[in-house]
Amino acid sequence: MMRKTLRYALLSLGAVATTFPFVWMICTAFKTYTEAASPTLRLFPDVWQWRNFLETFDAAPFGVYFSNTFLVAGVVTGSAIVTSMMAGYAFARLRFPGRAVVFGMVLATMMIPFEVTLIPNYVLVTRFGWRDTYAALIVPWCANAFSIFLMRQAFLGLPADFFDAAKIDGCGHLRFLLWIAGPLVKPMIVTVGLFAFLGSYNSLVWPLVVTGKDTMRVVQVGLTVFSGAEGVQYNLLMCASTIVILPTVGLYFAAQRHFLEGSLGAGIKG
Amino acid sequence: MIRVPTLGILFCLMVTALGCGGPAGFRPIEPDKVLFWDRQTVENADLLHGIVDQFNAGREGLPVEAQYSGGYSEIYRKVTTSIQARALPAMAVAYQSMTVEYIQAGAVVPLDSFISDPEVGLSSEELDDFFPVVLETNRFSEFGGQMCSFPFCKSVLMLYFNKRVLSEAGIDTAPATWHQFLEQCRQVKSDTGKYAYAIDVDASTFDGMIYSRGGDVIAGTETLFDSPASLDALKLLETLAKEKLGYQIPPGSYDDRDALAQDRIAFLFRSSSHQASVGRLMQGDMARWGIKAIPQADPSDPHTVLYGPNICIFRTTPEQERISWQFVKAFTSPETTVRWSLGTGYLPIRKSAENHPEMKAFWKTWEYNRAAFDCLGFARSEPNVAGWQEVRDLIENAQTAVLTGKRTAEQAAAELKGQADAVLAEAGG
Repeated sequence: MMRKTLRYALLSLGAVATTFPFVWMICTAFKTYTEAASPTLRLFPDVWQWRNFLETFDAAPFGVYFSNTFLVAGVVTGSAIVTSMMAGYAFARLRFPGRAVVFGMVLATMMIPFEVTLIPNYVLVTRFGWRDTYAALIVPWCANAFSIFLMRQAFLGLPADFFDAAKIDGCGHLRFLLWIAGPLVKPMIVTVGLFAFLGSYNSLVWPLVVTGKDTMRVVQVGLTVFSGAEGVQYNLLMCASTIVILPTVGLYFAAQRHFLEGSLGAGIKG
Repeated sequence: MIRVPTLGILFCLMVTALGCGGPAGFRPIEPDKVLFWDRQTVENADLLHGIVDQFNAGREGLPVEAQYSGGYSEIYRKVTTSIQARALPAMAVAYQSMTVEYIQAGAVVPLDSFISDPEVGLSSEELDDFFPVVLETNRFSEFGGQMCSFPFCKSVLMLYFNKRVLSEAGIDTAPATWHQFLEQCRQVKSDTGKYAYAIDVDASTFDGMIYSRGGDVIAGTETLFDSPASLDALKLLETLAKEKLGYQIPPGSYDDRDALAQDRIAFLFRSSSHQASVGRLMQGDMARWGIKAIPQADPSDPHTVLYGPNICIFRTTPEQERISWQFVKAFTSPETTVRWSLGTGYLPIRKSAENHPEMKAFWKTWEYNRAAFDCLGFARSEPNVAGWQEVRDLIENAQTAVLTGKRTAEQAAAELKGQADAVLAEAGG
């Protein structure tokens, strides 16, 4: 009984520590500029400032930013799933010359920091004339080594007998991938999708660099308008942040079960 | 052993990589617009767009478009990335340390030929109307003294003080000298038990402390951080820390402003552009605080630091470069500089603003509104030599080392001088 109480107490403490920043963010979203700037740990505002939400939407065209973000993140997610499934399957199941070398090269790209690829990617995008287009926001992120690696590991985990049996029944690689292997690795597909979506949804530097027009910008760029040279409008920034995280929180809860299965299966942390 | 297909793949990759070599010269990112990358947001951005619209309405040809491009560091990143891509905006805001790098990359258009152009240039009367320091900061000695940018958002280092806290300590006038400043800090501590000064570790503030002691930070290619003025400034920080008269706020935070507004400290040093934010934190209680020139060694020969970014014009096309200059000229006209100043809190950069009715009316609304403008005449710019951005980091490290007791003022000064000189030698070499 004692151990159980202690365990719950520790878990509760962890839960409070994890959720406190979110609660603080939501409460700060309703504070005045002065209250939000105060260093005291007072959580709740004196008067709940609902008009902060109006001010936030007045400060930048968040409606446009949201629609751009969903479009970009949606296409990036779909593309990342398709490319990682196909590449992962190829690396796991197909035998072709140079497979190990190519896979090694794909994995090696994970070691290259974003900062290093920023300039070459930007040069390419500019030469293609893609600046201020959805192509610039989407194409460079349609495939990534981490997702390919995850899918390869998932496909390697399937018994070879499945493929042999399917082959005897006349099933080719594509049909096997789509109708047999795909459903079996669904948790991993969800995980890859979530990572791709969150990566795209949260990206700031790339969209900031390749876009200039408000009509092409995404929500993370929108958040920066509240940080000026003379200080940060914490109340409005937290207000915008509260709105911005809602879709990702919703998505997480919707896909929570698959995400946990996929994460635990692949040994992913954090 | 490497097999033939693998070699083929490697060959393809090499060919692709070689194909990435770029042609020489720059081109505009937007051929049909004169793009201006800026960092103004919300109300300031609205005002800037209004000024841009007014400029576009009064002429024919390519329109100017101001685009919010993130903070200064993001704009720097965008510009350096664009330099690699050989495709640039027509203009961007830039601090001198950024401009140096753009000049080294061959991306900046020197403005001297535009300034002296009989058709679109500035007359000697017009040039005389600018405060000398705002132009001087845009001349780069390492590049033949050329004017490589033009003033945009200017402000000066000021002393902000809380009258209520000073009054609790029996002080009725904010300090005019560094000696008085230290004495008042001690008095605030002893009479109220409060810290007197929330220290924002900042290279520009430190430079201001040196300038106001009659010193300088650089002579030729060598820094002067071992000079008496520099040593005095570090000793002041040492004393403030040892006697617990001041405390260091987290880097990048604005906790000093909050502390001032909550009557927890008496002093802070910030750029004059923070005046509006401090006023908001004071919730309109303007009798509770004030702003004045930073303390001096000799108040009859005052100095302070000039802050703020400038506008760089990039190599794009002759037409875009010319329109950019025309915009810069219009933006810094007597009427527009006043409009910009009243709308944003930055300082008007023309001397004639002193007689502008709207400026006069603004200055009358609060006794300290004019204080920053009065400092422009004796403000000094910080060095704009290659490597100075790195030196700024070293200055801040030295300040922190003294405040945390890791180094004495003498040790920090000697170390800073050695490190900074090495950085400048490397950057200049």
